[in-house]
Amino acid sequence: MSDWQERITHETAPAIRAEHELRYRIAAPLILAGGPWVDLGCGNGVAAAAALGNERPAHAVLVDVEAQAVALAARELGMSTAVQLEGDLTDADDLQRIGEALRDFQGDPVVTCFEVVEHLSTFLPLLEWAGALTRERSATFVISVPNDAFWAIKNPHHLTAWSEGAFEELRRLLPSEHTLFRQVAITGSALTGWDGEPVEHDLTIRVGAEGTVATHFIAAVGPRRHDLWRGALAVQTDMLEQRRWERQRESDAAVAQEVANAQRAAVASQDLTIARQKKELREQTAQFDQWRAYIHELERELGRPLSGASAEDSPA
Amino acid sequence: MRVAFLVNDLQLSGGVGVIVRHAKELSTLEGWDVTLVLVREEEQPSWHGYEHLPHLHVRTREQALCEHYDVAVATWWETTFTLFELSAERYAYFVQSLEDRFYHHDEAERLGAGLTLDLPVAFITEARWIADTLAGVRPDASCYLVRNGIDKDVFGPLQRAPINTADPLRVLVEGSPSSWFKHVHDAIQAAGAMREPRHVTVVCSDREALGDVVADEIVGPLSHREMADLYERTDVVLKLSSVEGMFGPPLEGFHRGATCVVTPVTGHEEYVEHGWNGLLTDWGDLRGTARQLDLLARDRELLHFLRINALETARAWPSWEQSSQFMAGALLAIQREPPPAAAAGAARLLADLRGGIETYNGHLRERMEFARRALRYERPVARLRRSPTGQRLIVLRRNRLVKFAARPLRPLTRRARDLLS
Repeated sequence: MSDWQERITHETAPAIRAEHELRYRIAAPLILAGGPWVDLGCGNGVAAAAALGNERPAHAVLVDVEAQAVALAARELGMSTAVQLEGDLTDADDLQRIGEALRDFQGDPVVTCFEVVEHLSTFLPLLEWAGALTRERSATFVISVPNDAFWAIKNPHHLTAWSEGAFEELRRLLPSEHTLFRQVAITGSALTGWDGEPVEHDLTIRVGAEGTVATHFIAAVGPRRHDLWRGALAVQTDMLEQRRWERQRESDAAVAQEVANAQRAAVASQDLTIARQKKELREQTAQFDQWRAYIHELERELGRPLSGASAEDSPA
Repeated sequence: MRVAFLVNDLQLSGGVGVIVRHAKELSTLEGWDVTLVLVREEEQPSWHGYEHLPHLHVRTREQALCEHYDVAVATWWETTFTLFELSAERYAYFVQSLEDRFYHHDEAERLGAGLTLDLPVAFITEARWIADTLAGVRPDASCYLVRNGIDKDVFGPLQRAPINTADPLRVLVEGSPSSWFKHVHDAIQAAGAMREPRHVTVVCSDREALGDVVADEIVGPLSHREMADLYERTDVVLKLSSVEGMFGPPLEGFHRGATCVVTPVTGHEEYVEHGWNGLLTDWGDLRGTARQLDLLARDRELLHFLRINALETARAWPSWEQSSQFMAGALLAIQREPPPAAAAGAARLLADLRGGIETYNGHLRERMEFARRALRYERPVARLRRSPTGQRLIVLRRNRLVKFAARPLRPLTRRARDLLS
């Protein structure tokens, strides 16, 4: 399902929420390990809150380009004590402010930066800042980018394009000790009881065979990169929503096809009309030329200037 | 950050264009100052188009020798001759292709170009295949990947791939005919061997080198914008190169809705997927290539399928702005990291030099042997020519009757001549 909703909310399709939640889940052991947590591009905090469950880190710095989103994230996470920063991650001064906010907290920081880089006009200041933080404060930095080559249509919100190749370029800029993941989409089916009571299933999924196409690429640098959780997250498909989307697409396609057919017929009819009118015009032009020749003949006989002709063409 | 890119000249070429574009983008970053150093003595700083950029300069080698840079970057193997003459904190080498392959086996430049990869520098390259090769030959050196961007203002991806169901297949052949490894004449020949209706356009800036070829249209040199328009009117970009670096033209074609038929040349693996967004053809198989073009001319559904997927590939390709961010990141990393140890590079350089000397010794011995054998034949032939009998034979050879009588012997004399040569 194509979805360009760039802020995750409670109304976001379950599959997309799961995809975002998984990224926070892999970082959860680090976030809850005791050091301060910085969430760059925190959005509304929905995915992070779901991934962390009932636990919260002692100190958090929530950063987003929109102040309203930061406030919503703090509320969603139930962390009124979190440092809330409105900041532009392309701005070195704003990045410095984030670094200063971290100075008040003890411990090795963990920085999450999920689905943010592609929205930045330049990611260079962020990379430099993250590199310095990793070196100077033993921070662990976890970053993700989407695989834009996976989508047939350009995402209008993305300012840079990411693919295997672009991620490889990024990887080579990271410290040589780093951990990489491919995030892949999964699909499946499950049974539920007749009475409608929710049940939980343990799943075993085989993923990552050769030729696997990733939806996202994830990289982690820093001393605790090995502590990332590795797992999968599956949620029940919202069949109603999926059916609505598919039927809507089918309906739109059918209507568009019908409109196209009608327009094609209209164009064909107009072509016929144009051809007929061209013929009529030719006939009328010929008739007009005959009349003009006749009038000019009369005007010559009368020694009058020729209508519609220049003075030189008229008889003296 | 003061960066110097060393270039031979600022003449129009793909490689120089890439450097200039990076230099331009980097010079717009805050705190960056970029210089293009012309290392050829006869080159004068002529500069058109970017004069308005205060942090982008063009300097001669002599002028640059008086400056100090944070990072100096060689961009072509011959520019490494000047690299270490410049005063810089770090030295890097932007490798756009394995340049030894531009030369034939017995050309000295081949060895020279190969040896430059042993220098104690940090590498930046534009293609993964080069990065992988460098990792193999220089595991001691750091290597950054900065793929070339595409000018999305000029080669912006079309909204939809144009559909061609009725017109002849529009084939575009692009490349410098004077570069042997581009195989431009082969491509024209393959397109000419098609049986289905086609319209072949050749883009070439050097008409003299192109010579007499059969094509529906020969154009060029073209500006980038004219090229983009031409790609938009093209169904298939045909390239049969045997050496490429990043292999840009088919990708530019992808952006304008064209697919491609190409050889599996280095660089193609970055974005060409056989049967998905283009077709791969075998080396030197001109008939097979013509058949693939015929297939696309007949099967317009396949043609359009490839074209829409080519456009999808293009959409995910980075712009120059993005690409130069990676270049900036690479240069900052090179500046930060310690300079590479000279010993490993020197050892490698000397080993390669020794190998090269042995190869050239072999070539030399072979040639001397040829010369000795040639002399063995030439002496008696010369004696015979000077003798009265020889003189009479020479006169006789010009006689029309003798020429006519000797005609059946021509295959024999031709073979003898071939053997001698």
